[in-house]
Amino acid sequence: MSTDVILFLGLAAVAIGAALGMLFSRNAVYSALFLILNFATVAVFYLLLGAPFIAMAQVTVYAGAIMVLFLFVIMLLGAEELRKRGKLGWQQPLALLLGFVLVAETAYLVFVRGDLVSQIVPAAADYGTPKDIGILLFDNYMLPFQVVAVLLLVAMIGAIVLTKDDRKIERKTSEEKA
Amino acid sequence: MFLTLLPEITLVVLAFVVLTTDLALDRQSRAFLPYLTAAGMLLAVIFTIVFALPGDKPQLIFGGMLRHDWLTFVFRLVFLFGALATVLFSAGWERVARRGEYYVLIITSTLGMMLMGASADLVMLFLAIETTSIPLYILAGFITEDDKSTESGFKYLLFGAMTTAIMLYGFSMLYGFSGSTNLYWIAGALMSGELPFISMMGTVILVMAGFAFKVSMVPFHFWAPDVYEGSPTPIAGFLSTASKAAGFAVIIRVLLTAFPLEAFGGVDWTMMMAIAAALTMSVGNLIALAQTNIKRLLAYSSVAHAGYILMGIAAASELGGLSVVFYIIVYLVTNLAAFGVVAVAERTLGSNDLEAYDGLSRRSPALALVLLISLLSLAGVPPMGGFIAKVLVFAAAVEANMVWLAVVGILNAIVGLYYYLIVLKRVYLFRSEEEDKPVPIPRPSAVALTVCLIAILVFGTIIAPWFDYSGIAAGALF
Repeated sequence: MSTDVILFLGLAAVAIGAALGMLFSRNAVYSALFLILNFATVAVFYLLLGAPFIAMAQVTVYAGAIMVLFLFVIMLLGAEELRKRGKLGWQQPLALLLGFVLVAETAYLVFVRGDLVSQIVPAAADYGTPKDIGILLFDNYMLPFQVVAVLLLVAMIGAIVLTKDDRKIERKTSEEKA
Repeated sequence: MFLTLLPEITLVVLAFVVLTTDLALDRQSRAFLPYLTAAGMLLAVIFTIVFALPGDKPQLIFGGMLRHDWLTFVFRLVFLFGALATVLFSAGWERVARRGEYYVLIITSTLGMMLMGASADLVMLFLAIETTSIPLYILAGFITEDDKSTESGFKYLLFGAMTTAIMLYGFSMLYGFSGSTNLYWIAGALMSGELPFISMMGTVILVMAGFAFKVSMVPFHFWAPDVYEGSPTPIAGFLSTASKAAGFAVIIRVLLTAFPLEAFGGVDWTMMMAIAAALTMSVGNLIALAQTNIKRLLAYSSVAHAGYILMGIAAASELGGLSVVFYIIVYLVTNLAAFGVVAVAERTLGSNDLEAYDGLSRRSPALALVLLISLLSLAGVPPMGGFIAKVLVFAAAVEANMVWLAVVGILNAIVGLYYYLIVLKRVYLFRSEEEDKPVPIPRPSAVALTVCLIAILVFGTIIAPWFDYSGIAAGALF
């Protein structure tokens, strides 16, 4: 067996283990940490597939920024511990059924219609390198790139505008009480 | 190439200038902000006319992201005019007049609309739609101490997020079918004729969901009355005019370029749009009959007008495109005037109920006159611009062999006339106990209302130049 396959099998075990750990952990913080582990393993998958840019984006954006935000929200809301029995009546069997359908479809595609999988052409070695993406971003996609900057600024202004006044009112009422 | 983008760049700079001067000024002198914003927008209008005039041939610029043609040009002016009037109405609306962020949001939203009107690429289009919508969600919920405004902002956000998700799914299908995000490439790929009809039609429907939300086409109109009622009145006017115009700019460009009729067999999207047009105007007009709040009434009336404009799109011809552009221009000034009157009247009347409008003509003859002209133009009575606009969309429907649609449209125009006249009856014939209290009109609103009023009458009497300009703009699509 080549090193790639060994690496893949090891990582796959970690990724599936982390995903299961996320699902079955009763503590929301542990779940979030398991999810970070899962994201990090998937990032290594991307590296193995020769997509370093997506791998780094996965680590910084998902495992980094978004999950830190998740952890903050979980801790701020104090929702660490789940109740022993959730109100999941009909959702549980439905989820099982849909999950089974997904696994069956994948198995059908891989084992029965194997010819479809073998048709996938591996990308060229220099496809999607950070350099290429950078050039594309500042060349063809320069305008959208700049527009995103404006959009993010507006979102920030909006978050401040919509939350600012409430606090002012609260302060006013608390002053009146005092 | 950068000169063609100068109006947009001006708006970005203006947004930063307003944002920073807002910090530097004290509360009293912030009343100057709307005038600063208006001056900047006027500058953008001048730059559009002087530097960003399209040439004889439409060109794709910025790596195929934008298309610089006469349609882009005309819609740019439409959006800038809508924003300009909204800013002037806001200057007299105390709860928002001195808030710098409010003007920054209007400016960025206008920037998004201008990009929407020019987008020739799905990536750019999506970002432009978001740059338009996100400031509008915030503006609708801007008055945080008013529960109605908060509700309106939240409802708008949820509805917008859902339809945007459906639209993005459609975009991903388009990319999957054609391997490109450029509208003109997509057209070529669909023309190859290897795609089954059902997947093409399905994609049209998915993509249309997002656009239909922006123009409040049935069945995506549910948000309109609630959002208009709760949001600050100048913003309600902005939503129903400029934002709607941006939606139509995108619809005609995407449907006519990315989904060419030749790519479909016998049955294409024109039938779907015709049915949507008939439903939209009927639903809007019939529900408007039962309204007792003027903002809700105008909301349903604007749903109905979306239906009339859709008739021109369903025709999918050059006359259809021309009628859509003409209708949008006339509808812009007319509805801005109507919402402007509501914004001015609201300050003194303290209510948006129709009953509060009793005897308005005695309290402010000028305001009542503007309301009279704008509502009659909405109803389609000559010599107002609305009459010509309606004639053109009906003509486009007849030319495209959709006589039934024109008949539905004419019947709807009669229903519309009824509820506009009910409002005017209250304004001119009813008496109220507060007749001796005049309704003052703030100076900036008066300027904006006068310009709108003149424009309505000019569009209705001197038709030829506007007809020609609309034709040139629509010609960029064929």
